[in-house]
Amino acid sequence: MNTNAPTTAGTAPVPDPVPRSPGDNTPHGESTRPGVLTVRGLTKTYGAGDTTVDAVRAVDLDLAAGELLLVMGPSGSGKTTLLLMLGALLRPSAGSITITGRDGVDVDIAAAREKELPVLRSRTFGFIFQDYALLDALTATENIAVAANLAGTTGPAAHERARELLERVGLAHRAAARPSQMSGGEQQRVAVARALANDPPVLLADEPTANLDASRGRDLARLLRQLADEDGRSIVIVSHDDRLREIADRVLWMEDGQFRHVAALAVDPVCRMQVEPNGPHASWRGEQWWFCSDACRREVLTQPERFTPRPASN
Amino acid sequence: MGRRFLFADRRRATLTVLGVAASLLLVLVLGGIFAGAVDRVTYYIRTSPADVFVSQDGVRTMHMSASSLPGDTPERIADIPGVAWASPIAFASGSVAGPQGRQLSYLIGYDTRTGRGGPTRLVAGRTPAAGEAVLDEQAAKQLGVQVGDQFTVMGTSLRAVGFSTGGSSITNTTVFVELSEFGRIHDDRVSYVLTGLDPGADPEAVTDRIEAEIGGVTAQTREQFADSEARIVTDMSADLLRLMSSIGLVIALAVIALGLMTATLNRLRDFAVLKALGARTPRLAAAVAMQVLLSVVLASTVATTAALTVAWLLPLAAPAVQISITTAAVAQTTTTALLVGLIAALWPLRRIAALDAATAFRETR
Repeated sequence: MNTNAPTTAGTAPVPDPVPRSPGDNTPHGESTRPGVLTVRGLTKTYGAGDTTVDAVRAVDLDLAAGELLLVMGPSGSGKTTLLLMLGALLRPSAGSITITGRDGVDVDIAAAREKELPVLRSRTFGFIFQDYALLDALTATENIAVAANLAGTTGPAAHERARELLERVGLAHRAAARPSQMSGGEQQRVAVARALANDPPVLLADEPTANLDASRGRDLARLLRQLADEDGRSIVIVSHDDRLREIADRVLWMEDGQFRHVAALAVDPVCRMQVEPNGPHASWRGEQWWFCSDACRREVLTQPERFTPRPASN
Repeated sequence: MGRRFLFADRRRATLTVLGVAASLLLVLVLGGIFAGAVDRVTYYIRTSPADVFVSQDGVRTMHMSASSLPGDTPERIADIPGVAWASPIAFASGSVAGPQGRQLSYLIGYDTRTGRGGPTRLVAGRTPAAGEAVLDEQAAKQLGVQVGDQFTVMGTSLRAVGFSTGGSSITNTTVFVELSEFGRIHDDRVSYVLTGLDPGADPEAVTDRIEAEIGGVTAQTREQFADSEARIVTDMSADLLRLMSSIGLVIALAVIALGLMTATLNRLRDFAVLKALGARTPRLAAAVAMQVLLSVVLASTVATTAALTVAWLLPLAAPAVQISITTAAVAQTTTTALLVGLIAALWPLRRIAALDAATAFRETR
């Protein structure tokens, strides 16, 4: 058996062979990670009477700690509506969204009162926007410190947190720079650091690589994967970017407001990124290995003893 | 955050601050000119050695008034307990002319032997005798009169023997002559009686006593008389001043409103992002209020500095104009501008309150 081969093969959306909720990534057996986000029957209906439109229809979803979920689908399929509801930015018409906070307490976002939502957002979620959405009036440090402030960390502690996060995303040297003085890649890294300012259990990213070139997009993808692996943070990415399949634990295909297909991926033994089983590959010790790039493939072929194979996540 | 938002676009911030400063400058200078005029009009009274001014019954001012008292009034007042001295002055309004022009003028006749009721300070020359007069230095300069020159007071030619100070305002000047000379120019009259009190005497009690014992007179302390004089000027100009100040504040309102509206509209996305990150509306409102506060405080600082500069420079060009910029006036103008600014902030605040946090995601879609 191929050590890093996916349990559900293929990059194209394929039907889940097991009759279960399309969003449920629990392997055909048991989950080894605790759940962070549980969505049941989530629906968003716009309009009234004969003109109603269901943007999201009775979606179920379970997200585990440290899981990176990629939601793909055509424009108008309901991806962003779903993301907005998950992030407590849009009231669902029906259903529940239960989030388990860092304190272990479950909260149903859909049932929360309007005035509770800002606090929920500031303490529970980190948002990453397509166009970074940094405040141009503030420096990189201040952009992050503002998010920390909103989450309850104030004064020097907020700035210290901002400095730590900038260091983590490799931008300590750009602490005093304003967004207009930074490249797109740098801005998105600051945006990621800002999303981490409140130490959220869940990151929600909307087309995070859309404005980045291939190289920077890949860098960002690796960073997001790292955050899921090292921090145990759950990440939901809504994107059209196929490159992101490589880092996702699961890919959900959304169409007409519903999840249609699930794709599972292999793990690159070098960089630990999730990869599609259709790219660079090699056989070693009688097994098939999949890589994110030729560089990773070469690394294994030249020094195979350095790498311990890791099974696919699904 | 409000500070950063305000100065993120420095050009707009500068224009807003300068616009507000210009309107506040208008308000401050108008108020300053008015206050300066009041200072000048009451200068003679405020610097007088008299503790109490006695006038004809019902007459409470010098400006726009005519007071006539019986000739023995000074002696009768001097006999009242608590009164140390009583000196008459004669007062009339007319005109004064020199080689370079003509001005409206108060003519004051006073007892040159005691000097009471005369000029507060001579900056040149000496006390006038018969056929002589002392005029204000600014009027002398404008009329082209030097010490020793002849000039005309109410149609009578007099020789300028000295210059006083502080007696010219926007509307008129002051000429001092000996009492007997006043009689020759105008008529023999006692217009007011300047009264000094014994040490420790209560001015209020003495004024009551004078009114009770003399009859047909009005007695006021120096402060009361100066206030009455200021009030008549205020009453005459208040409507105009209020109108001009209102115009200035409306301009300030418009500038602040426009600046804030533009700044807020340009930053709606930022506010939406902050809302998405968990900011509550009051926090964002505080950022807007901070922009108002900073704009007004900066504008007020600029306006005050400019007003003080104008107050220093303008009298060099127009000596009769005095601009009094007081701390109270600056505080009042700044406070009013702050209230106006907060009113101007209401519309942006409504926009922010109604702003959907989800637009943070939709902006570029």
